[in-house]
Amino acid sequence: MGTPVKDVELKDSAPQNLLLDKHVAYIEAYSAKKDEYEYVMTEYLRMSGIYWGLTVMDLMGSLDRMSREEVLDFVKGCQHECGGFGASIGHDPHLLYTLSAVQILSLYDGVSSVNVEKIIEFVSSLQQPDGSFYGDKWGEVDTRFSFCAVACLALLKKIDAINVDKAVNYVLSCMNFDGGFGCRPGSESHSGQIYCCVGMLSILNRLHHVQADMLGWWLCERQLPSGGLNGRPEKLPDVCYSWWVLASLKIIGRLHWIDRDKLVRFILACQDEETGGFADRPGDMVDPFHTLFGIAGLSLLGERQIRGVNPVFCMPEDVIKRIGVSMQLL
Amino acid sequence: MHGRLKVKTTAEQQEAKRKEREKKMKLYNAATSKIFQKRQGQEYDQEALELTAQILSANSDFYTLWNYRKEIFLAFKEKSTEDELHKLFEDELSFLEACLKGNPKSYGCWEHRCFVMLTMPCPDWDRELMLCNKYLEYDERNFHCWDYRRFVVKRAQVTPEAEFEFTTSKISSNFSNYSSWHYRSKLLPLIHPDPKHPGGVKDDVLIKEFELAQNAFFTDPNDQSAWFYHRWLLGRAEKQLAIDCVYVSRELRRVMVRLSKPAKIGADLSLQVSLDGVQCTGEWTTPANSNDHSLLWLFNLTAPLDGNEHKVMVAMEGSSRSCTLKDGDEKASSVDEVKPGTLFSYQLSAATSDTLTQELDACQQLYELEPDNKWVLLTIMLLMRAIDPLKYLKETLEHIDTIIKVDPCRTNYYKDLRSKFLIENAIEEQGLSAKSVDLSNRELTTLRHTEYMCTAERIDLSNNKLSSLPGCESFQCVKELELKGNQLKSCEKMECLPLLEDLSLTDNSISTMEGLRPLTLCSKLKKLNIMGNPLCEQDDFVEELRNMLPSLDTLIT
Repeated sequence: MGTPVKDVELKDSAPQNLLLDKHVAYIEAYSAKKDEYEYVMTEYLRMSGIYWGLTVMDLMGSLDRMSREEVLDFVKGCQHECGGFGASIGHDPHLLYTLSAVQILSLYDGVSSVNVEKIIEFVSSLQQPDGSFYGDKWGEVDTRFSFCAVACLALLKKIDAINVDKAVNYVLSCMNFDGGFGCRPGSESHSGQIYCCVGMLSILNRLHHVQADMLGWWLCERQLPSGGLNGRPEKLPDVCYSWWVLASLKIIGRLHWIDRDKLVRFILACQDEETGGFADRPGDMVDPFHTLFGIAGLSLLGERQIRGVNPVFCMPEDVIKRIGVSMQLL
Repeated sequence: MHGRLKVKTTAEQQEAKRKEREKKMKLYNAATSKIFQKRQGQEYDQEALELTAQILSANSDFYTLWNYRKEIFLAFKEKSTEDELHKLFEDELSFLEACLKGNPKSYGCWEHRCFVMLTMPCPDWDRELMLCNKYLEYDERNFHCWDYRRFVVKRAQVTPEAEFEFTTSKISSNFSNYSSWHYRSKLLPLIHPDPKHPGGVKDDVLIKEFELAQNAFFTDPNDQSAWFYHRWLLGRAEKQLAIDCVYVSRELRRVMVRLSKPAKIGADLSLQVSLDGVQCTGEWTTPANSNDHSLLWLFNLTAPLDGNEHKVMVAMEGSSRSCTLKDGDEKASSVDEVKPGTLFSYQLSAATSDTLTQELDACQQLYELEPDNKWVLLTIMLLMRAIDPLKYLKETLEHIDTIIKVDPCRTNYYKDLRSKFLIENAIEEQGLSAKSVDLSNRELTTLRHTEYMCTAERIDLSNNKLSSLPGCESFQCVKELELKGNQLKSCEKMECLPLLEDLSLTDNSISTMEGLRPLTLCSKLKKLNIMGNPLCEQDDFVEELRNMLPSLDTLIT
């Protein structure tokens, strides 16, 4: 009786060692193939794609394989007069890509090469009277955008450009019966959204609002028998949740509530031994998004071959230290 | 890229695919450059709609193109007749439905649908509700669709009662529907608010919900949805902000306050201190020396407290607490003792004790049928905690041992939970004004509720499994701290303990001098025992330590 547990089974033949060199080669090759179908079809998220690629390269100690000049020129070319950044040249400005742009600039210590005042103006102009944030001028509201806005301003050291209390209250109005957070008031909890809300509260030093034991329990229940983590109850495991769930647990000081060794095994099984890179689940197609979150997850789990990652910004810890951004961790 | 299986292909197949993709890409590139060109020229016409539709039907995440379509619709709205507009928007809704069929989780599609509905004349909200029903048939967990549903419900003026019925029908067709249970948790307090507990639910309604959850977990005891909902029904009463404890130290010229829930003085509330009827001015800080939200707050009096009797009063809006420092006494505190076993039950106490007992009976029946079910075990423990944490302690601890066996993945969660239970019971039993708190030999893996030990002068945490001391900065009155036999690597936060005189770190894991550095700020520290730490194997460490902590009388290595 009852519903079977949604999960995958790890094959014995699945990779069990970290194939760092292959992942470096995969990301390097991916960014070189600019005329390929996959690359062209994902232009609408290029800025985030570059952030994923650069961050994972930096975490693997291979940032020097990427072209700083080329990237910075591209980023500069994506800034609009309003201050916001689009995903690519000519694409509309949006908070999602503005955060990615600021993360890239921070990684390369190149924030001064763009108009920072304008970015701050753009971000703060999107805050609404109820404290929420529009993603762009068209008015979609989502707690992801609250995180983007706050993370952006934190990296630019200008948190006071928004109404912090209202921003916090809006995010708190999205808290649910399970201690998690959703997109908007009334929305179901989702690990990605929880990461955004907990991360935002961490930057703003308001983690006492989080019911850490309740939320931590819900988050550690994301671990399935395969060792992988899902994003919501009764869903399949996925490598990107190794990041959203783990980082949230790390921020609220409860990372040890999951079985580390089993999760490491699951993440490693999602590697593609031929091409390098990570997929969402073992045997699926790899992409840079899952490659970053696989590597970043392993970093949080203490893999020594990977550099330390900051759980709030998903950037190398030493970059966050260099910028001097502080945050609260329970 | 989610859920795309990697398939082995031959070189021939690959070549064919490459050619096909090349062709697609050419068309794609041609269409996008045309679109951008037209948009540059502010051409808001049918052709632009067609071109963007071509791209979006294959790639609905291309947000800039949705924005262009929005501009086109706004431009049409200025110049078209009502009939034309009606047709135009209707076509857009059909187009969106086609896109959603291919990609029901596209943020862009759902968001654009909201725009269309808010922009078009005479939108048909009822039809949208049917659309939501349909999409929730396909996938009852699609959170985009649930969110769109809530957007529609608001405008279609569907009552919360009707939506509640909808979740009932969804749950009865499939108990395993977390989204529906979630929605119920939002609707229930709207429909049946409990006037006594803000955010709570009336008791008779609660009983019905307990029944529904029971039905669900008796049908499928491994489905977590109903268990999470059940845990929520057990509820937590929201505490009122109040001053729970005031402590005065003559020597430190300091007032310490414990609030009933974390708050930030200056932001969430203002607290006034008066000494013998005269209002004092000064700064509030937390034990960790910040001004973040905290249960504990410290206030330094500027004037010295002479040897006579003094009365200190701390007041906030709607609440105050006084404390009299008697002639010659060094310190005084004021705190209400509570009935043992009730201090922490607020975490699980919205239901009446009759209801809780019934729930416990039902769960115990299920446990007999399902002895390896972790959900029922955990729920039994929580019910026992809510009913009588002291009486049920032995059984609770046995259940913890069992649950670790049946669900080893979350061993550390259960161990921390056990630590929390044991600390709560110790505080309940030893009382809130205990001068000496004994938490030794309990296999504690973490600390909780340290704020309730803020007035203890001796705290014994020896022979546990602590690798850190979260919240130890709350031990503001501790003079003697016994930490023997743990796994501590450092003295983090101990710099915040102003009265610490005697510290035992025997048999821990301190391996560096750096780990002891916080102690340099403990000006009263006279006795330190660090026997049995890896540090003791280093050459010259005694001398180095003596130099670092020159005021120590006794150093045991």
